[in-house]
Amino acid sequence: MTLWIQILPGSGEPIYVQVAEQISKAIARGELSKGDKLPAVRKLASELVINPNTVARAYSRLEQAGLVTTKTGSGTFVADPKLRKTDAADINILNERMDTLISRGLNLGIEAQDLIRLFESRLKKFSDKLNERKEEK
Amino acid sequence: MRFSALLRKELRECLPWMLLAAIAFLALGGFFLRAKAYYEGDRLYSRLSPGTIVDHYQLTFYPTLNFTGPWFFCLSIGLGLVLGIRQFWIPHFTRTWPFLLHRSISRKSILAAKLSAALIACVISMGSVWVGLYWYANRPEVFPIPQTVRVFIEGWIFIMLGLVVYLGTALSGLSTANWYTTKIFGLVFATFIIVTTLSQWTLVGIFAVIAVSVAVLLVQIFDTFLRREY
Amino acid sequence: MNEIVLETKGLTKYYGSTLAVDHMDLQIPRGCICGFVGRNGAGKTTAIKLMLGLLNPTAGSSRLLGCDSSALTPAIRQRIGYVTEGHRLFRWMSIGGLETFQRAFFPKQWDDKFFADMIEYFELSKKQKIKHLSNGQRAQVSLALALAPNPELLIMDDPTLGLDAAIRRQFLEGMIELIMRQGRTVLFSSHILGDVERVSDRIVVIDKGVLRANCSLEQFQKAIKKAILSFADSVPDQVNIDGLLQCKRSEKGLELTLVGTDDEKISEWAKSAGAENYNIVQMNLEDQFIEFTAPANHKRLFQWEER
Repeated sequence: MTLWIQILPGSGEPIYVQVAEQISKAIARGELSKGDKLPAVRKLASELVINPNTVARAYSRLEQAGLVTTKTGSGTFVADPKLRKTDAADINILNERMDTLISRGLNLGIEAQDLIRLFESRLKKFSDKLNERKEEK
Repeated sequence: MRFSALLRKELRECLPWMLLAAIAFLALGGFFLRAKAYYEGDRLYSRLSPGTIVDHYQLTFYPTLNFTGPWFFCLSIGLGLVLGIRQFWIPHFTRTWPFLLHRSISRKSILAAKLSAALIACVISMGSVWVGLYWYANRPEVFPIPQTVRVFIEGWIFIMLGLVVYLGTALSGLSTANWYTTKIFGLVFATFIIVTTLSQWTLVGIFAVIAVSVAVLLVQIFDTFLRREY
Repeated sequence: MNEIVLETKGLTKYYGSTLAVDHMDLQIPRGCICGFVGRNGAGKTTAIKLMLGLLNPTAGSSRLLGCDSSALTPAIRQRIGYVTEGHRLFRWMSIGGLETFQRAFFPKQWDDKFFADMIEYFELSKKQKIKHLSNGQRAQVSLALALAPNPELLIMDDPTLGLDAAIRRQFLEGMIELIMRQGRTVLFSSHILGDVERVSDRIVVIDKGVLRANCSLEQFQKAIKKAILSFADSVPDQVNIDGLLQCKRSEKGLELTLVGTDDEKISEWAKSAGAENYNIVQMNLEDQFIEFTAPANHKRLFQWEER
């Protein structure tokens, strides 16, 4: 399992959020699937040269979002996607991100219809990858 | 184990200066001994009463190792000054006090290691050369008339004056007051003591002055060092 | 509740008439990495020297591992590692000589292999004399000497000043390696806020000798934010909102830097001031630090002006 995380201190986004976001992206892309074990907190902290508490906070943020589960003693594992819960805060973040996307697209002069087509093709790429991984297994 | 590590380090820092002073003293003292230079009018020793049957030839050789006096004096004072600077001024310039002082040993012991090293350095370097010169000068083929014990003791007085200068330099180095006022006190005091000592006529007087000055300087040094102002 | 390893109460130090440290009250719990930040000359080094008992305070007190700083016993000093400002070591000694010297003071804790491994990793030789080393190499030796005794509390005074990025990274790696051992605490002062952001749990901000902030890094980063307001008509003259640090005016807008102000308060004020629109922006740590320690409503050195 290749998990590649890039930390950007000074970007304004707290480091634990950066770590959590990149792991959740990896899960969404299917690079990490249900049951995969995330690196141990100390191992990741040592590799990324960040505080182990930061890694721990990233993992607990993911756990709160339902993306991972922690079994004391064994480690942190990617959770079953069906058991994920979304709440109002998650939807808010999603809305924010979509607003950014839409405003960018419109500023570039892309028509609304083309934007939708663009979105659909990207979504297809993700789900294709996911299906590939499922077939591999 | 800790104290010996400190002492070793301090001695190693004194070593080049010890050797320099000892070699210079040996060279100068030895040269004059070998050349059998004579020094007339040694007023401390002109006690030869006029009717004594002493060969004129021998008389010109009688004055003693005192001709090494000026060199001995300068080198002792110089060594004391240099050691004081090396141990207590240089750490300010190289900013190594914090590294030295954060140790698992009492601050008093760190100071004691410095003082012991300087004492050992002065006594061994100048003292051993002095003993050697004295022994050599006592050989009949060098000087017909043996040296007096007083001359030997006077040599040690020079060494002690060197230590007084060392302590004065150390105190100046430790003082965190402004340069032109209290900081220079140590050096001024040491100079004063030298002048006072040299104007004494009796050995007892000399030893008393030195003992009191060393006590005063030591108390001041410990007090300043333990007050942690730097 | 976490034990407090470092505590100061009203710690004050005057140098003549200059106030270097001003009544500092600080507590640092065990197990954290605490970043000490402040502008040049803010009093960080003086504070550290006071805490380590290397300087006498003018007033107040300080305790390290439960012991008063003016009377730190040799046993306590053995548990504290210290990387001094400028990594000043004895120039005439060799690396091996320094190892022997340092090891004598940590008879049971010294890790020979660890030290040797570090020296090898830094591509140094124990025969090299300190005076022949570059600043970076001297810093590496200093780090090895401080970490080899496996200290319980590691205090580093501006350890990465003037060092290249690779060596800075080595210091951070060393800190992370130490913090993962049980019960260790690290206190380090730094100007590089990226490094502080990477590894610190807590941040302490000192400005002109005064303690301005002492909290978790997350709290600090959440507390300082920028609110950008745009106005249809005139920009209000008076800006009286809680926690205002800086205020920048433009023709149709206001850029406010705020500390500790809730988002709701901002939106309330924006409404009451008649703002057309407002936006709350998260700042990066360096900008937060600069605006936090700048004097109120300070002007820039070079102000761009329309000609």
